[in-house]
Amino acid sequence: MLFLLVFLVLFVQTEYRGSDTISAAVNSFFRADPLVLVSYLAATRSFTWLLFPALLTLIFTLLLGRFFCGWICPLGTVLDLVTVRIKKTLPLQVLKGNLKYWLLLPLVSSALFHVNLAGILDPIAILLRALTFFLYPLFGGAVRSGWVGLYRLIGERRDHLAPGFDLLRDHLLPFRETFYPLAFLSALLFLAIVFLERYETRNWCRNLCPLGTLLGLFSRFSPLKRFPAQLCSDCKACRSTCPTSFDGDALLQEECILCMECLGACRQKRVQFSWSLQKPGTGAFLPERRVLLGGLLSGVLLSGSFRFRRPEAEARLLRPPGVKSEGEFLNKCVRCGECMKVCLTGALYPAISQAGIEGIFTPVVTPRLGYCEYNCTLCGQVCPTAAIPNLPVSQKRRAVIGKAVFDKNHCLPYARKTNCIVCEEHCPIPQKAIRSEIVEEIDLNGKPIRLQKPYLVEELCNGCGICENVCPLEGKSGIEVFAVKDKTPLKEVALGSAQPAAVLPSSAGKAEQNQDDPYR
Amino acid sequence: MKRRAFLKLVGLSAVFHHWLLRGVSAAEGPLLAVAEGKDYAQVTRNAIAAIGGMKRFVKSGDVVVVKPNMGWDRNSEQAANTNPIVVRTVVEEALRAGAKKVKVFDRSCNDERRCYVNSGMVAALKGMKNVELKYIENERFKKVELKGKVLSEWELYDEALHADVFINVPVAKHHQLTKVSLGLKNVMGVMGGNRGAIHKNIDEALSDVNGALKSHLVVIDATRVLTAHGPQGGSLADVKQLHKVMASSDIVAADAYATTLFGHRPEDISITVAAHKRGLGEINLKKVRIVRA
Repeated sequence: MLFLLVFLVLFVQTEYRGSDTISAAVNSFFRADPLVLVSYLAATRSFTWLLFPALLTLIFTLLLGRFFCGWICPLGTVLDLVTVRIKKTLPLQVLKGNLKYWLLLPLVSSALFHVNLAGILDPIAILLRALTFFLYPLFGGAVRSGWVGLYRLIGERRDHLAPGFDLLRDHLLPFRETFYPLAFLSALLFLAIVFLERYETRNWCRNLCPLGTLLGLFSRFSPLKRFPAQLCSDCKACRSTCPTSFDGDALLQEECILCMECLGACRQKRVQFSWSLQKPGTGAFLPERRVLLGGLLSGVLLSGSFRFRRPEAEARLLRPPGVKSEGEFLNKCVRCGECMKVCLTGALYPAISQAGIEGIFTPVVTPRLGYCEYNCTLCGQVCPTAAIPNLPVSQKRRAVIGKAVFDKNHCLPYARKTNCIVCEEHCPIPQKAIRSEIVEEIDLNGKPIRLQKPYLVEELCNGCGICENVCPLEGKSGIEVFAVKDKTPLKEVALGSAQPAAVLPSSAGKAEQNQDDPYR
Repeated sequence: MKRRAFLKLVGLSAVFHHWLLRGVSAAEGPLLAVAEGKDYAQVTRNAIAAIGGMKRFVKSGDVVVVKPNMGWDRNSEQAANTNPIVVRTVVEEALRAGAKKVKVFDRSCNDERRCYVNSGMVAALKGMKNVELKYIENERFKKVELKGKVLSEWELYDEALHADVFINVPVAKHHQLTKVSLGLKNVMGVMGGNRGAIHKNIDEALSDVNGALKSHLVVIDATRVLTAHGPQGGSLADVKQLHKVMASSDIVAADAYATTLFGHRPEDISITVAAHKRGLGEINLKKVRIVRA
């Protein structure tokens, strides 16, 4: 319960609240998530200290068992809260047996082949995505439209309530109403897990969850055990009290989540948890060899079959700032959706098909909807695995997302011979990646006109996309950002001087001055 | 001190002999104050006092809108936004003149939260009573019949339209399209909709909007100005310290004077020319009574 609250508080905190840095974000849950750690290790074959807490979780699981599931996992707590209101029918037999290993093993083995899909089924990621893409925008949108409705109703008098609403907006609501693609799928996955509760308690946790399965493997070695190790013949109350571990008469050690429900409920005071080094006799350590091999093999198949990408979709596959290699990014990305939640302008959206099936739910910059804010570094700060590197602002400004390209068939000064240059105005690079030349032309009505025709200076463009975002054309923009392979950061001189002109003998930007600049 | 006493006298006489001042200005054209100095709060106060003091514009109980330029996620020394000290002083003066409430807002180009913080406005106005630094809310844009030359109607911000006094507090800076960005251009910050689309006829369009939304008082911040790569700048090499603040009730005269700080003639700026032709103010600086303060 406590951790669910912490989770929700951190979730709401994962937003710009007037400071350039976010001290505590919901990423701490992913950094303590062993499934994230294992798939990261498999995919990148390297360790990162960011995931050190996950290593601790594993060590404690070796000692204590699946305490994470019973005490920390926010999805588990949500299930505990709703399950009491859901009537149970019989357990679904199809979920029993080795199904969970058929989920975990392919995920891990395909990660070995650089297709890291663990985030799709990671319980914390499932919960976070349902919140980020579905529930939170819905909640924000509802409150906001109520607020707008109030204005239509009582007009300016609404101002009397404004302090209250501002408080709500500054501390609880999403600042922008962003609606996400895949919101439906994210919600569906979460609701399906809730739906499964009508068959048995913690159905997901005991039969499906890959994180739980992974922790279960480790918890077998735990010396902390419940006694008695089976149902007592004269009572058997534990069968209904226990949310996970009594499928049969014997306690399944790898399913015990240490919730301690049985301890409190036992009328005979027989139940105790104590330390014992005795090896448990229940079942083999891993499922049958067939499952092991099959699981690993299907991971290989999975990694191969999800690889296809449409090249024309990839042309617009713009990754968050600082991401240099698509392969490395996919190895590391958990698809938790935190970057999309925190993005100031709502520029990041989950990929549907741009990056193939292997890239589903990974973040993509969509400039027509939102641009990368020049001075903002939040996505790198909240990324749990540094798939988006946490760059200092001076480096982030120079990080290349893509390069802008003018479409002269649409761009107003070219296509319709009218002045515009809204893109140049908004270009945040102090030396301007978008500049314009002045030409005297005859406009479409036959009148002479002094036109400012914009052009791009590619070496100065970081692909932030504000130009595409603000282009006043409807629908399609007259300038668009395209993905590039070469993501060498911009040279520092592009960002202009931090020193006043007087201190600088020869201003860095002087050579690059626009010829029509009248002040030089 | 003597000069200030004199200014006070001028200010007070303006309040008590409103008709006198009006008579004078009718005879000699609009009044424009140019104040200079390093204490920007004092400079701002001097400029306002020199054209008759804030009480000339703000009556007790008025709702006042102060519209600075804080459209960019740039800090104060980068000169893309109005100096927060100037804005704070204008707000203080309005309160002292008896304003019931002072609202400060701008429709920003970058993320509004970052703009409000980074421009220094949040810190400058923090804790002031009866002052609201507020974000733009889309529902408040109202379609206004402009019946102008190029814009027949446009969405304008209702709080700006309904204010008793609208004080326009732009920063003087370079603009790639219009050469300079001043008071007439600053009004774009209360325009809704796809305002970038007006760039094709920006001079006439801005006259249309300024004709519908009068700036009762214009205070132009030229404490430091952006001389290139406007309107956003970013490099301190483009920033020049001028230590000046101008004030006038004539937006065209104020813009015309500020234009000269950049080495242009007012007649070179098509926005100012168009506004003058529409009768929004005086472009000929020889007809403007310029008071140094």
